[in-house]
Amino acid sequence: MQMFKRLDRTLVVVGALALVLAATPAGAQVFVQCPGDTNGNSVEDGGESWPANQQCFHLAAGDGFARMADGSPSYIFSFTDLNGLVSAPTSPTDAQGNTDAQNRVLEAGMLAAAWPAPTIVMYEGAEAYLTLTNVGMMIRPDLFDAHTVHFHGHPNMATVFDGLPESGLSINMGASLSYYYKITEPGTYMYHCHVEATEHMQMGMLGNLYVTPAQDGTPHSYDGKTYSQFVYNDGDGSTGYDRAYPIQLGSFDWDFHNASWTVQPLPFADMKDEYFMINGRGYPDTVIPGTMAAQPLDPDTGEDLNGPVDSQEVSSLITALPGERVLLRVSNLNVTTENTLMSPSIPMTVVGRDAKQLLNPAGDPLYYQTNSVTMGGGMSYDVMLDIPTTALSGETYFLYSSNLYQLANHDESEAGLGGMLTEIVIQ
Amino acid sequence: MKAMKYRNRRWLGVTLMAAALLVLAPVAEAAIDGITGTSFEFTAKEGYITTPDGGSIYCWGYSAQGTHSAHNDGRMQYPGPTLILNEGQTYTITLSNELPVPVSLIFPGLTVTAASGDVDGDITWEANAYDAGTEIAGTASYTFTADAPGTYLYHSGTNPKVQVEMGLLGVIVVRPATYDELDNRIAYNHADTAFGHEYLFLHTEMDPRVHQYYEFGMPTGMEWDNSDWWPVYWFFNGRAAPDDLLGSHVAWLPTQPYNLIPRAHPGDKVLMRVVGGGRESHPFHHHGDHALVIAMDGQLLDGDAGTPELDLAYQEFTMLVNPGQTMDAILDWTGEKMGWDIYGPPYYEVDQESGHICQDFFNNETGAIGSDGYADTEEQLCDPTSPTPCYPYEWCEDHGRAIPVLLPETQNLAFGAWWSGSPYLGSAGALPPGEGGLNPNSAYPFMWHSHKEKELTNNDIFPGGQLTMFFIEPHGVAID
Repeated sequence: MQMFKRLDRTLVVVGALALVLAATPAGAQVFVQCPGDTNGNSVEDGGESWPANQQCFHLAAGDGFARMADGSPSYIFSFTDLNGLVSAPTSPTDAQGNTDAQNRVLEAGMLAAAWPAPTIVMYEGAEAYLTLTNVGMMIRPDLFDAHTVHFHGHPNMATVFDGLPESGLSINMGASLSYYYKITEPGTYMYHCHVEATEHMQMGMLGNLYVTPAQDGTPHSYDGKTYSQFVYNDGDGSTGYDRAYPIQLGSFDWDFHNASWTVQPLPFADMKDEYFMINGRGYPDTVIPGTMAAQPLDPDTGEDLNGPVDSQEVSSLITALPGERVLLRVSNLNVTTENTLMSPSIPMTVVGRDAKQLLNPAGDPLYYQTNSVTMGGGMSYDVMLDIPTTALSGETYFLYSSNLYQLANHDESEAGLGGMLTEIVIQ
Repeated sequence: MKAMKYRNRRWLGVTLMAAALLVLAPVAEAAIDGITGTSFEFTAKEGYITTPDGGSIYCWGYSAQGTHSAHNDGRMQYPGPTLILNEGQTYTITLSNELPVPVSLIFPGLTVTAASGDVDGDITWEANAYDAGTEIAGTASYTFTADAPGTYLYHSGTNPKVQVEMGLLGVIVVRPATYDELDNRIAYNHADTAFGHEYLFLHTEMDPRVHQYYEFGMPTGMEWDNSDWWPVYWFFNGRAAPDDLLGSHVAWLPTQPYNLIPRAHPGDKVLMRVVGGGRESHPFHHHGDHALVIAMDGQLLDGDAGTPELDLAYQEFTMLVNPGQTMDAILDWTGEKMGWDIYGPPYYEVDQESGHICQDFFNNETGAIGSDGYADTEEQLCDPTSPTPCYPYEWCEDHGRAIPVLLPETQNLAFGAWWSGSPYLGSAGALPPGEGGLNPNSAYPFMWHSHKEKELTNNDIFPGGQLTMFFIEPHGVAID
């Protein structure tokens, strides 16, 4: 099975593209649906005129690699951001039904899965078009898996856009499916593929998704401070914040990922996660600002398994000034266990849960202070951290799973802190 | 898009055929299946349950005898009989024990006023183990008061870490004193707990190695290790998916009488009685819409009697169900604000000259004259069976709008078994041979499941476990 690891990446992509195209019937096509977008790149450019309040997204679904904090590579399935890539036909259709532009889109998505999946930010009032293109699994050409996007928590969903393959549609390799969402409710959601959910989610098809409120930009004063960014349309500034960070909890079972990589039976019953992560990284990688430069390397050859792609773009480093109010959009997409996320030194004020402002039916706030939130997969909390005005520049606070066995990357026992932990650094 | 031009009536023949094929999976009862009365005769028995992967697991469970023996033919059942009780009344359960170990009953959250038995055990009075030599069963008796309405768990109080795992548990539903099945369906003594349909979601799990140990008579050398417990089966109401989607009391699941097929029409209020019956926590995610959590552990989330609303109730889309806890929540899916008409745009309704209407003269909740954005209720003369139908709770702002995207061509799609062939509620569409078929009413099915996706398996096999489908049925489809 080492053969798969040793294949040259370019050969894999070119060969797999041929395989994907050969496996897809004529008429298959990459097809970005985004009204007004004439070149199919999901970006309003080149003199295009889009309807007002329209957002477009184009994701690829496929496979790739991520680097764990102990240096090990993990084979993953996930999504890739294809926004900006022209997909509209520019040349005659080939025998498979795709043009050169469409084939370039497929190639760009191949072996380029991001971990976590690209963060999706929508705004209240938007009409969102999300196109999903299945680029196939390069490392597993034996798989013909379809994919979906499940907008987890979207209020009043219909089956056609729910991304649940059992009650709806999923997209086969080499083609695109477009979802439409009218965005009416701000808050912290999440998204994931729902096809063969246990497998595809353990493999990493998980990402941050949140919706900003219409109240953004309208100043409201609360507790002596004036805010122009809010979690919800609170009317009183009580969900206002200075800075916001998406914090998605997740974890991997190394045995499962390795079995998938090496084409072995998948251990569902024995699934036990060992890499505990925030936004797709274990500590200390969590605090690397921006995109992670270190790459997943083949343990035998040292080859960069991701080729030119950077797969881990979402940092969890939280920086703030003394006195600032920091919003954590915490979501959990763990598939094997619950997590308790603790901020031991800076109390958390919980203002929202599951993409709803924490209000009772009479409209009164149910905000509460705590130092921890306990979350199973599929839950979200909007948590405020009020950085003490007395905090000093350079001070570091911690945010971590208080399920302490999760403070490790795989089998690290003596290596110090690792796993589901990140830092809040005062500027 | 061609596939979408069919209206359900045109597909009636297909629907009827599909429905005929599904008689083996009859519709769910909208009320929770259980037994009523003031006294109950339970026998703790051994038996086997089956799992969808072909497994057969030795279990211990409670069975209803005497006047309630018809409920499950006196057999051991997993879970035990669901007791539907009334607020303020006193109940007695006599327990006869045919198990090789002592057993008992406890009722967390309810007041036990009298208990007796063979032995005064650690927690409560216990019935002795069955004596195979003398053929004498142990006995015990418990009298308790259904103090307050709500959802409760009962289980064995004898070595519960083993006996609950083995199956000795069940659910108690206490109806408010003013509850009336026809006129006053309320979960608690509060108007905001009114519901149209109610369903039970009892979460349990099993490690079959524990069961094998007792099945083989507790042999030396085969002891199970409590610290090594590792479940590989997960259940709703005693059945692992997809068995929970079968009919209730089907003959081939004789010890697992309860199913779970939640169904509702748009705008109906669905009461979810969610119970953590095992050792693990389960994040229970209900696709489709948020729900309002109204109670925990039988306690209404109302901290201040001075306000009319439930002032501690909160909304969620995933409930963390912890061991031994119960949570009650209400969900009402309307399909509002999706930006398109879930009943289909007029041109699409080829059978109808004018298409459906969205009539909104009244506030659906208060009955006051004036628009509330939703099509009126049937009582307010929004008639889904009219030649020019009106669909209650349709979001009128979106009326007449088609879905804003084209669906891919058939060869590019993988189809779900519950896909009707159409994005519109109550409409079927053409599907390739062998696709679809489980959705004869062209409902909107949503998965309600543990979001700890590992639990969507049956002993290493996906899919299964804690998973069911919630059906938003088109108006006019009978649910009761």
